[in-house]
Amino acid sequence: MRNVGIISVGYTPVFVSKRKDVNIPEMINEAVDAAFRNANLTPDDIDAITFGNMQTFEGVNLPHLWATEYCKALDKPYIRISTGGTTGMSTLQAAYYHVASGMHDVVMAVTWEKQSEGDSQVGLSGIVMPEAMTMVQHGMDLFGGKGMGFGGGGSTGAAAYQAMSYLHHSGASPEHIDKMASLERSNAALNPYAHLRKKTTVEDVQATPFIAWPLRFGHTCPTSDGATVAILASEDKVEKIADAVAWINGVACCTTDPATGNFIEGQITDPAEQEGAKIAAAKAYAMAGIKDPKKEIDMAELYNGFAHQSLMWLEKLGLCDEGQAHVMLDRGALNIDGELPTNASGGVFSTNAIGASAMNRPTECALQIMRKIEGGHQIPKKIKNAVSHGWGGMFQYVTVTVLGDEPRHG
Amino acid sequence: MRKIAIVAQAQIMSGSIGVPRERMLFDLVKGLYDNVGITRHDIGTFVLCSNDFEVGHTIANVFEDTPVGAYMKDETHVEADGMWAASYAAMRLMSGNYDTALVVGNSAGATTFRPYLVMDYQLNPTYDRQMGLLNELSTAALQAKAYLDKYGASEDDLNEIAARLLRNAAMNPNAVQSKAGATAGDVLASEYLYEPLRQLQCYPRTDGACAMILASEERAKELTDKPVWIKGMGNSVESYYLGERDLASSRSTKMAAERAFKMAGLSDPAKQVDVAEVGAKFAHQEPILTEAIGLFAEGSAAKVAQSGAADIGGPMPVCPSGGGIGAYCFSAAGLVRIADCVRQLQGLAGDAQVSGAKTAVAHGQDGFCAQHNAVMVLSTEEG
Amino acid sequence: MSAQQERIVANVVVPLDFPYNYRVGPYIERYIKGLGEKKILGVKCPGDASVIVPPRKICGKCNAEMSEWVEVGPEGTIENYTIGHVNLNLGLVEKADTEYVLALIKLDGATSLIPAVVKGVAPTDVEKGMKVKAVFKDPAEDSLADLSHFELAG
Repeated sequence: MRNVGIISVGYTPVFVSKRKDVNIPEMINEAVDAAFRNANLTPDDIDAITFGNMQTFEGVNLPHLWATEYCKALDKPYIRISTGGTTGMSTLQAAYYHVASGMHDVVMAVTWEKQSEGDSQVGLSGIVMPEAMTMVQHGMDLFGGKGMGFGGGGSTGAAAYQAMSYLHHSGASPEHIDKMASLERSNAALNPYAHLRKKTTVEDVQATPFIAWPLRFGHTCPTSDGATVAILASEDKVEKIADAVAWINGVACCTTDPATGNFIEGQITDPAEQEGAKIAAAKAYAMAGIKDPKKEIDMAELYNGFAHQSLMWLEKLGLCDEGQAHVMLDRGALNIDGELPTNASGGVFSTNAIGASAMNRPTECALQIMRKIEGGHQIPKKIKNAVSHGWGGMFQYVTVTVLGDEPRHG
Repeated sequence: MRKIAIVAQAQIMSGSIGVPRERMLFDLVKGLYDNVGITRHDIGTFVLCSNDFEVGHTIANVFEDTPVGAYMKDETHVEADGMWAASYAAMRLMSGNYDTALVVGNSAGATTFRPYLVMDYQLNPTYDRQMGLLNELSTAALQAKAYLDKYGASEDDLNEIAARLLRNAAMNPNAVQSKAGATAGDVLASEYLYEPLRQLQCYPRTDGACAMILASEERAKELTDKPVWIKGMGNSVESYYLGERDLASSRSTKMAAERAFKMAGLSDPAKQVDVAEVGAKFAHQEPILTEAIGLFAEGSAAKVAQSGAADIGGPMPVCPSGGGIGAYCFSAAGLVRIADCVRQLQGLAGDAQVSGAKTAVAHGQDGFCAQHNAVMVLSTEEG
Repeated sequence: MSAQQERIVANVVVPLDFPYNYRVGPYIERYIKGLGEKKILGVKCPGDASVIVPPRKICGKCNAEMSEWVEVGPEGTIENYTIGHVNLNLGLVEKADTEYVLALIKLDGATSLIPAVVKGVAPTDVEKGMKVKAVFKDPAEDSLADLSHFELAG
């Protein structure tokens, strides 16, 4: 199997609530240009381009076709990927497969979101809106017995249920969610490309009101305008054109059932179970030759729209035993200078341009491995293996990408 | 590079599917598994293709995964024409990570969402959507006019092409629009939309889905004794800005075809291709696309078609299925073109069979006036 | 079972209404300002000197950022056109009250073509190559609609 690595990452200069100074393709172009600059490459060096975002957020269909020239995609093979919240990593994995197939050698992955231009409810509730309105039209009571998914507003309602179940099964307390939130926001404060960059104490988090117990405002991610671009290359190209590389050693994904399940029967699967994450992680580790992730994985970038999810994903991805994540948190193991730095970037929890969020996870791992982190969140210890995780759909899609400082295949 | 084949295909097209989308997908894909003699557990990776705006909610595939058997499986989603889903699935297999793939595209443009509106949302909101001048039909008409003007072709040529496609569609059990014995006069009698575009030169609103199973060499031979090999793939894209494009030709289709032919080792497509299924949404797009692919000399295809050159029994059969005029299902269309080529190459095309077909070309498009194009070369010969 | 309970619902119509609020970006902002002054502005590509209207940041062909502003028109030539018999209203085809001319116009000094309606000429009389001139809204409304349509020049 062909070895493929990430050789360059480009971000928009900032990830913020509203980019009022540029339109959609102008914003995307900033990250594309940054990726070229950081790699010292030109569009002539790119063989193909993959592109992803959640298009209903901006109300533009097939936006890659409008953005063609801004992505420097003219006359090139071009494809659009869209998998909800995990679009970023699916788009990166598509770029990976463009190279791994043998058809292309250097491929660019472009991901982004400009949520300030749309109604966020389009994304968060819009997924259930047609079905919901259908039921309302037939007199169904959505806010009573069957209202789990909608009470508390869109995805937060379902996430609250997930958090409740997680706390119950793991033995973690709501204070652990506050602690994780504080840790990640403080990490984000060191990251110039993060959105929410205010150093946040546990007390600060606890002062925020509840949305749906146990989740507070201080536990939830922002919506951000921003773009993330990565350039991938095959092994022989890496030797020729790159001065640093982070190898993509394991890729996997798994799809389970939509969180609200069957509207007549109600919830089928406990959203804290996340069996798909276990399956995807196991596949990615096996592909990467990782036999004991607890020992071999040096850092994790996890897709956490909500602070409790960092703890949950650590367990589901096999980085610690079930019920142990909060124990690791308590002893400082998840800190940037700990044994398993988790979301040194601040995670989705601090920066969330949704189409890009799941690609920021592997790009942050890549930058850590290449020791090219700008800002103060470079992990001090050497990173040999990193795991990045993406999540999307109605709590149903998981993508996992394992990166390393050495290639594992070929 | 690893050899990939299409093992089997299934499609359903309708002017009104009459069942919920999930039912349509389940019936189609389960039927496909049963025909091949496998279950969903035999599929290594799933690549779905559908469109948020058409389904009416974000993350188009959330309710599509379970009906096609992707529950607890490796699954991803392309949001483009179905041909891109097929080529991406092939790349996933070529990597060596998987041995089988299920590709499925679907939409319900006849009964769920207006296809012209799906296109309207592709207009950039900063200019074209506000100006309200460009839409799928007005842009198609400008493209038709550009072709007619540049090459001296006539509206009758376009009507003749549409009539041929309607006749072919009459032999296609999956056609939504067809007329046995259709003539150019029938098309002429249909209403002008934007001149020179007439109603019967346009694709019909279509509900439907198309699914296919791809497999690597060894697995393909286990699953079928008639694998159809993917010999070459290519795609390319032009500028969004219509005012900067030559609408009378298709630069990106030409590049896509060159890439696909290079990969397939074809040097003389006009001679080496036995049958072509191009994803023309309008009659005038057929000559533009077939010329770009190299099946006809530049500027000649519309007039040459008058002499029967593109007929099923002619020297260069184009769209024996009836093509996009018979049925055009957003997100599935490119897959349908591949599926119709597979039918030809497996000898299953019934009355529309091109005799002795060994090598086929399929094409799919996206965007206004085919801004983005993909070409796939298929063959009975493994090579 | 009562007659009401036997009723089977096959279809529901679900209207979705989400407002979007787009930034047009600095190029279209300046273009709109120009329209308000009855000027049509384009940008020149440093790579191949093509003049692009409406203006935008990137020329993909040349991999260049366009920052040189040029006034074009207000006259131009019809390079291509269609005669509309219908309008599309939210995806529905509706017969137009009268046929109208939708043209792709090459403004004097511009390389790219812009789409616009041409009024004041019978659709059957329109020909490629005809000279047209821009008609602006007066008073200006600070929107793209300030470039209202084109008429025959001279």
